[in-house]
Formats: sequence, structure tokens, C-alpha cells
Amino acid sequence: MTAYIIRRLLYTIPIVFGVLMLTFVLFTLVGGDISLEIAGKGATQETIDEIREEYGFNKPLFLAWDSQFINHFKSALTFDFGRARDREPIIGKIKRGVGPSLALTVPMFFGVVIISVSLALVVAFVHGSIWDISAVFICVAGMSIPYLSFILFGQYFLAYKWGVFPVFFSPDLTMAQYVALPALIGIVAGLGGNLRFYRTVMLDEMRSDYVRTAFAKGLDTKRVLFKHVLKNAMIPIITRVVLAIPFLFLGSLLLERFFGIPGLGYLMIGAISSRDYFVINAMTYISAILFVVFNLITDICYSLVDPRVSLE
Amino acid sequence: MSDSENITRTQRPCPSQGAAQLGKGRSLWSDGLRRLRRRKLAMVCFVVVLIYFSLAGFIYLAELFDWRIGPTLWAEQVGESYAPPSSENILGTDIFGQSVCRKTLYGTKISITVALCASFISIAIGVPLGAIAGYFRGVADEIIVWIYSTLSSVPYILLILAFAVVLRDKTIFGYKLTGITAVYLAIGLTSWVGICRLIRGEIIKHKGRDYVLAAMSYGSSERRIIFKHLIPNVFHLIIIDFSLRFVAFIHAEVILSFLGLGEADRPSWGAMINDARIELSRGVWWQMAAATAAIFFISLALNIFGDALRDSLDPKLRIQ
Amino acid sequence: MSILKHKPILLLVGLIAATFVLAGCDSSSSDKDSDEMVLRHALFTKLKGLDPGNMRDVYSVTVASQICETLYQYHFLKRPYEIVPLLAEQMPQISDDFLTYVIKIKKGVYFQDDKCFPGGRGRELKAEDFVFAVKRIANIKYLSQNWSMFDGKIVGLDEFREYTKGCESEDDVDYAREVEGLTASDEHTLVIKLKKTWPQLVGTALADIATAPIAKEAVFSYGKDIVSHPVGTGPFVLKVWHRGSYVELVRNPKFRGEPYPGEGEASDAEAGYLDDAGKIMPFADRVVWTVIEEYQPAWLLFLQGKLDNSPIPKDNYNEAITETRELTPVMKQRNIRLKKFLDPSTFWLGFNMQDPVLGSNKPLRRAISYAIDRDKFIEIFFNGRHLVAHGFIAPLMDSYDPNIKEKGYARYDPEKARELLKEAEQIHGRALPELKMAIPGTDSFSRQLGQFLKRYVTAVGLDVEVEYMDWPTYMEKVNTRSAQMFSSGVRASIPDAEDFLGMFYSKYWAPGSNRFNYLNPEFDRLYEKIEVMFDSPERKELYRKMELLVLEDCPAAFLNHRVVFALHHDWYKNYKPHAFAYGMSKYRRIDMKKRAEYKKLLKTIK
Repeated sequence: MTAYIIRRLLYTIPIVFGVLMLTFVLFTLVGGDISLEIAGKGATQETIDEIREEYGFNKPLFLAWDSQFINHFKSALTFDFGRARDREPIIGKIKRGVGPSLALTVPMFFGVVIISVSLALVVAFVHGSIWDISAVFICVAGMSIPYLSFILFGQYFLAYKWGVFPVFFSPDLTMAQYVALPALIGIVAGLGGNLRFYRTVMLDEMRSDYVRTAFAKGLDTKRVLFKHVLKNAMIPIITRVVLAIPFLFLGSLLLERFFGIPGLGYLMIGAISSRDYFVINAMTYISAILFVVFNLITDICYSLVDPRVSLE
Repeated sequence: MSDSENITRTQRPCPSQGAAQLGKGRSLWSDGLRRLRRRKLAMVCFVVVLIYFSLAGFIYLAELFDWRIGPTLWAEQVGESYAPPSSENILGTDIFGQSVCRKTLYGTKISITVALCASFISIAIGVPLGAIAGYFRGVADEIIVWIYSTLSSVPYILLILAFAVVLRDKTIFGYKLTGITAVYLAIGLTSWVGICRLIRGEIIKHKGRDYVLAAMSYGSSERRIIFKHLIPNVFHLIIIDFSLRFVAFIHAEVILSFLGLGEADRPSWGAMINDARIELSRGVWWQMAAATAAIFFISLALNIFGDALRDSLDPKLRIQ
Repeated sequence: MSILKHKPILLLVGLIAATFVLAGCDSSSSDKDSDEMVLRHALFTKLKGLDPGNMRDVYSVTVASQICETLYQYHFLKRPYEIVPLLAEQMPQISDDFLTYVIKIKKGVYFQDDKCFPGGRGRELKAEDFVFAVKRIANIKYLSQNWSMFDGKIVGLDEFREYTKGCESEDDVDYAREVEGLTASDEHTLVIKLKKTWPQLVGTALADIATAPIAKEAVFSYGKDIVSHPVGTGPFVLKVWHRGSYVELVRNPKFRGEPYPGEGEASDAEAGYLDDAGKIMPFADRVVWTVIEEYQPAWLLFLQGKLDNSPIPKDNYNEAITETRELTPVMKQRNIRLKKFLDPSTFWLGFNMQDPVLGSNKPLRRAISYAIDRDKFIEIFFNGRHLVAHGFIAPLMDSYDPNIKEKGYARYDPEKARELLKEAEQIHGRALPELKMAIPGTDSFSRQLGQFLKRYVTAVGLDVEVEYMDWPTYMEKVNTRSAQMFSSGVRASIPDAEDFLGMFYSKYWAPGSNRFNYLNPEFDRLYEKIEVMFDSPERKELYRKMELLVLEDCPAAFLNHRVVFALHHDWYKNYKPHAFAYGMSKYRRIDMKKRAEYKKLLKTIK
């Protein structure tokens, strides 16, 4: 057991190293020098050189104790990403953005999961009927509508036209108020794909042998559905939920942009339009680390529950 | 449908294989396609997809030969600025009085191009890498698994964005990555992981099978075994995977265009939705509606067709 | 089991109910601040920083100007614009050779309370603080964007900058090091010695936020975080700056209090701008700016009464303004007021004069200029609000030539353009290559702008490729002089056309302000002459002459001058448009009664 955990921990090292390599290649080798832009209008060559020096653009890429490569690793491993283009420490920005992002994504995500699992149960119950077929069709149709259209129409009708929800973030509003509409839109948009997934999970379970046995024993459908199917289907459902958690921290790029929610998605959008590689780099790295950590936790939990896993 | 027969023949494993394998190869494809043909809805969807593809192809031809037809003349002013839909302009006009209908048609080319190129790139990377990893195992496997585990530990959307931002306007080997080139490169370079993982798993499964062992005992080269025997046997998985992934690529292009990372100079669906965002407030809904409908129909058709294809070709994955 | 069975459905119902209950709170929420006077504005881009020594973007300057003050300011009401003392006691005493300025500063001005001071109490402002502010800009390690303003102007300052190059970092620079031309002769007297006459010293430098004193204690204790901890002497104090989201300032309890001006233009009394004359400012308790990067939501928040003022987005123009350029009945019903004013700005499609194709081919450049229909441009993008730029000096300027239209440099003449193109082809020797146009921005507006320009230029027979790029790429292209054509614009910061003329002086080639990389020895000679001239009819003539010199060479197709149509609610008092001043929040006042009435009004409209 301990050996497994240690092995699993060691396994994360190459992944973290890989992510660091990836971000280095992307943002330092391919991305390149942005000192001209930092310098601003009318900057003299000497100012530009100073900035190169400050950000280390003039340092050798590799093969030096003080190379950009080494510094990239150092800053990532100590979580000290330096300052964004607006000179605020990046880590501070990220910390501040996590709250609003989670406030949006957590209700949205669990809303989607709860609603789609309950609906999937219902649909699996009437499996094969016209209701089931139309539900599947609606799901596929919902998946086919672009996410942007959901947001646009939702914002236009519910906020602009009918004024049911606030249009945009404003410091006077409580978090619950400005998150309500985007969360609702996110739930509606995410329902199609999720419902279809959970329906498949339920039906897979319903085809397994133990269900056939249960029916053979003479149990009624309702009992089978709730006692056996749901219980067993919980395993893939929970796996999916746990693995999705690190992504919740990232917030929602498009929803946050449309509604001005000051979360991490908003931060990313801003960084993209101003080419702030420092911020994009930090976000990429941190989200990868979160993913690795959560993966690790799930794996260890599994090995605790199911000893077969650690033998693999 | 003699077309399907042709596919069967070209995809058939070479005659050196055992009779059982040969029989299976034929029945998989012909059975699958027969099953598929029986599904009316799936065939309708297939026709819709074909229409989109041929429209894109047609626009390419038209641009090549300079035919002056609707979609290639999208830049022409056909009416007043923001004219609502009417008998003259079925879908109305945009800010410059350009026909929204023509722009939507032209957008097909951009979307299909991006999705196709991205698919080719990710297949070209994912399939060989997956096959190598699955067949040789050992160090090669370790390295390939390491690369894709790394890529898949970064959230997908973030990864695409990071690639698209960095690649945009970069000059690589004297070729400038403008507009959609950067977009499909970004999508292609980031989305081969799924197919690579799939192929690797399948190859590992198939490696122990009789026909592969037989080919090995004949002394076939490894390259021959991988490309002549193994890949044709898992090829249907690639097709299924991509019929479904295609939709995701189209949607990714829309989002990238919307974020200003896509095609800027020519109409694309994402750019149209982006324009429409502001126009909605003055009651101009037709641009938005046209782009949404265009995306909706191809996505719906591809989703349904992809599902049907999967159900027909891969009975193990069948849901109902 | 039965609990599990019902749980999801119960939760679902609960969740949906909660969503709507929360949303329902919306209308009742904003009543809580009814007794406080709050100014609410929108910011259309993110703030970059609030350190006055290093900022150039309008929005950062707008916010920082409420926190920090300068020696001089523009009079709020008087037109033409007039400079009056703010932190200075009176106008500077200038020596006969115009090289020495002696400035007395006000006594009893205190910095805002901040924890960087011993005991947390702000100390008194001294002349030394101004010396520090300028030396800081000169410090190369500080990387200020404002240095070019002082380059070669003050005795000893360039040497100070040289010295800082040798320092390891910003902290190692010894600010006590003497600069001959910049001293505090006593605690409240500042002496500036110039190398050559600098007529714009007071207007350009001493009324600019760049020289606003910021407490030395704060600079040293906050280090790099000074950008979010400005400690100035102004009427407001920074309370919250939630980056990228909103900024909130509160009234500075220790502000000395300035009286509202008592005199202005003839029409000011009637317009109600003198109602508060003599009262002690500031009036507002809090000032809030919400960052809203799109006009749409801002417009809606304005209509809902959650913002005091707003520009009119082009897509809502018809909703707000009638064909006769008046407010629509809908707006009037809401007691919304309209302010129209000229903005001293010029926008253009610039040509890189060092480009091998464009630079040596004047007919080609003129052809492009004639190919663009500026009236149509203004109609499509600005609802016909802006003015056609016949030259580059903006109409608000004293030196603006009212007859410049007759020179015909900006007319739309596709026939002439085609003729010129034939000539251009001969000069080029073969068929003209495809031209590249750089547009900063990848958003809808930029894309439409690019498409518009391309459409008109290609219509006369030229091939154009539009390159949309993000701001950094664009800057790099322009600064490295590798852009061919580029869309750009400038806004004057002082009521003198020098800002505009400087764009064509050959010593300011990119990355300086001359992005055209324009070179004309005759122009340079005249520029060096006017640079040291004080305002006079003779100088005005020279300005106009120089403008014509440039227009004749056509380094850009000048397109438009902005005209602002701003709306505000009738409760937003003392909103007189000002083209050059930013520290305006202290003048504004909210009529609380009217604001409360608007809420009722909204309900009846709905």
C-alpha cells in the first residue's frame, strides 16, 4: 500500500516536469520577448533594454546558471510568478479570482450533475419509450447549439429585455446576485451532454447481470432502479465529479467575460487580449498542478477502497 | 452502394492473414454499413454533412477559378446597413450592407477547413504515436505516455488558448501563421491525445491476436505489421472518434474566433456571433440567428450520424 | 433508500428556487446607500496602475487624478482653457530669460493618512516632494513612460539619468544627489532651471499627473506595490481596487478643502454650473468606477440609473438621439441630459515613410487618401457624430485652420485616386505589390474598421491585406518601423497643437511619437523654432504652415476628429465637459432627491 502511494507520488514528478517544459517551450521559446510593449509609447531604446534586463529577456535561454530555463523552473516551483503586465503580483490576482470563479462554477457544476442524474434516472426508467427517444434527441440538439448562443440569448432575454436578473457585475451586488444568471445559463447549456452521459451510465448498469438477476428474483423496476442501479452507477458518477473539481477553479471563460465576473476566466481573457504570457503561464501551470494533485488523491482513495488497484 | 464495397476492399487486411480474420474484416464493415443504411435519420444526417462538405469544397473551387457566385461575393454591398430579412436578402444584411446569407455560407468553408485540418493533424500525430507506443512498449511507450499525460493534465480549453495565443502571427519556417492556420494548428496540436490513447490501448489488445502473431512468424517487418495489419483493424475506431470530435472542433473554432484569435478578415461563424453580440441591442438578430443555425445543423447532423456510426461499426459500444 | 430517491429532486427544486429568490433581491439591493453621495462611473478598459509617475492611459490618469494633485490645473469653468494654481500658491515667477522658474507651494497641505507614515498620519507637503517626483521619472531603473517629456530640458537632470544607469536597482538610486536645475530653495519653494526655453513647462509638465507628488515614504515602504497604494494629497483616498473589476475611492477626511470656482463663462450661470460657487469641495462621499469593457452593459446600467453618465454606444444611438441631434422623447422622459463637445483628437491611417514602396511614392499615398470616403466612415462607425479630419490639428486648438477644408486633402475622389495610381505605378516601375495594413485589436470594431478601409482602398484598384493584431504585436511592428500602413490616433493633452506637430519631427522617429518616420528638413527646422516660442500670432502662423507642409507630403490619410456625445442623469451636477483636466470628481455633486425620484420614475416606465 505504502509502496503504491510512493510510486504514485513519484509518478507525478515527470508530469510536473513535463508541464514546466511545455510552458517554457510555449511562452519563452515560441512566445518570446515582449519588452517593446511593456515600454509603452515613445520609449527609448535604453528603456527597452532596461525592461529586457528586468524581465530577463536578455539572459541566455539555456546553459547558464542564471538562464531563462532555470529561472522558469525556479519561479514555478516556488509559486512566485512575478508580476503581471499591470505590475500586480500574479499570485495575488489568482488568489483573488478563485472566489468569484468558484462561486459561479460550483453551483453550476453541481446543479448540472444533480439535475442530469435525476433526469437520467427518470429517462432510464422509461427507457425505450417515446419519452426516452425525445429526451435523447433534445439532449443532442442541446449539445449542438453553440455555447455562445446560449449565453447571448440568455443574457439578452433574461437580463436586458425582461430585467429578471442583473445585466452585469457591479460592486453593489452580492455574489449570489451576479452569479445567478450565468450559473443558470451554464446549467441549461451543460444539461444536454451530461444527461446523455448519465443515461448511458444508467443503461449500462441496467444491462449488467446483477440487474437481470434482480429482475429474475421478481423485484419491481422501481426497486431495482433505486436500490441497485443508482447505487452502482454512483461509482462512475463520483469519479467524473471528482476529476472535474480541479477545473472548477478555472472558472468559466465565456460566462465570466459576458457578465464581468471578476474570476479567473476573466483574468485569462484579459491576459489573452493583452498577450500577458506571465499570467497565462501561471494559470496553465497551476491548473495542471491542481489536476495532478486531484488525480493523485482519487487514485489513492481508490487504492484504499479497492486493494486490487494498488497491485496493478 | 458500390462505394461501401470499395471501402471494404481497400480496408481489408492483406490475404496473408488467417481466413477467420479476413471474414471478420469484411463483415465488420459491410455489416456495419448495412446496419447504418437501415437508419433513416442517420442517412439524412449524413446527407446534411455531405452538403456542408460539398459547399465548403465548392467555395474552394469557386475561389480557385474566380467564379462570381454568392458566397465568394460576400464582400459585395447588397443593401442598406442592417437591413432586416426580406425577399431580396433572405437573412438580411450586416453593418456594411453585406448579405448575411452569403457570409453564413462562406463561414462553412472556414469551419470545415479548420475542423478538417485539425482532424488531420491530430490523426497524423495521434495514430502513429499510439501505434508505436502500443506495439513497441518499453521506453518509447513511456515517453509517449509521458507526453500525453502532460498535455492532458492541462485543461483542454486553456491548452488550446495558450497554443493559439502563442502561435498567432508567429513566423515559423518562413510561413506566417495568420488567422485560421494558427487556429487549426492549436486545435490539432492539442487534441491528438484522445486518439493516441485509444489506438495505444487497442493495439496492445490486438498485439496478442492470432493474425498479428501469424504475420510476425512470416517475418513481416514491424512497419508492415503496424500499418498493414494493426491500423486497418482499428481504423473504424478512428473514424468513429473523429465523426464525434469534429463537432468539438467546429465549436472550438467558434470560440477562438469569438475571442479574436481566429479568422479576422473573412466571415466566420464565430466572428458573426461576436458582431451580433453588440448588434442584438439594436434589434439586429439575423446575424446571430443565421450563424447559430448553421452551427446547430452541422453539429446535430454530425452528432446523430457519429452515434449511428458508432452503434453500427462497433457493436461492443452499442447502447441500445 | 426513500431519502436518496427524493434527494436529487428536492435539491433541484431548491436550487432553482434559490436562483430566482436571489435574482429577485436585485431591485431592493441598491437602496442601502441612500444617505451617502456616491458617484458611479464606468471604466472602459482595465486600470494599469495608480502610480502617477508612470502612467499614460486616460483611465489610470482619471482615477489617479482624484487621489494625487499637481502644482497647476486647468480652470474648471473658464474657456478658453486657463491654467490656475492648485498645489502652488500662485503662478510661477519666471526670470527674464525664461530659464528659471520659482514656484511657491501652498502651506498646510497634508498627505493622506497611510500606514507608511510614522503613526499613520500624513505629513505636510514640501517642495522637496516635487523634486523627488521628477527625479524618480528620470531614474532609468524606474522605467517611467514619462521620461521623454523631460529629455534634454532641465539642467543636470540628464546627468542624473546617466548616473542611475550605473545603479544596480531602483532602490540603490540616491535621490539626495544634487540636480542643479531642480531644487527646493526652502521647504515651500521649488526652483527649476531650464537648458532652453520650454513654453509648455507649466501646461505639459507641472499640470500633468506625472509630476504629482506621491509620498516618498509610500514609495519606499510599498516598493513595487506602489501601483496599488498611491498616497497623494487629493480629495479622495483609494479604498478598494479590485483589479479588472472596480475601483472605489472615499473622501479624504483630511483634505484641506478647496472652494468651488466662482467665475466662468457667460453661459455657466444659466447652465447651473455656478450654483455651488464658493462651497467647499469635494461634495461626494464615495466615487466608484466599475470596469465594463463593453459599451452595451454600461448603457443598460446607465438607463437603470446605476451609472451617472455614459457615452452613447453606436448601436444605441438611434434610441437616444433624433435626426436633428437632439435627445429622443424616451430620453427626455427619463430626464436625461445631453452634452456635446469636441475632443482634441485625430485619427488616421498612417503610412510608414521609410517603407520602400510607400515612402518614396507620394502619388500612391495620396491615392489611398483620396480613396477613403470619410463621411461614410463617420456615418457607419460613429453615427455621423465625428468631424472629418482635413488636417491633423484638432478643431479645439487655437491654431486650427478654419479654412483647411478648402485645401481638399481629405476629399473623397476615387477618380483622382485611380489617376494617381497610374502615376504611382510608373514611379514604382512595375505593378504595385499588395499593401499591408496593421490594425490594433481583434475585436468586432477593429475587424469592421479593417474591412471598411480595405473595401475603399481596393475599390480604386489596390491590393490590401489587413493584419489584425493584438496591441503588443502592433506596437512591435510600429516601433520597429516594419508596419506599412497602420491605423492609429492621438489625443492632445494640452490646449496647444505642439502635441500634434511633434508627431512629425524626425528626432522622434519610432519608437518615439513620429510613427510615420516622417522626415522633412524644412519641417524640422520650423519645429525647433516653435519648440522654444511662446504663444503668439506668429507662432500660430508657423503652426499652420507646418501642418500644410506635412499634408502636402501625405504621411497619413487623416480620417476623423472625435466629437463626444455624453449623456448624464439630471441628478449629476456640475458636469461641464473639460478636454484636458482629469481630477473632476471633486466638482461633481449628486442631487439625492432627484436620484430617488428616478427610481420611482423607472417603475412607472416599466
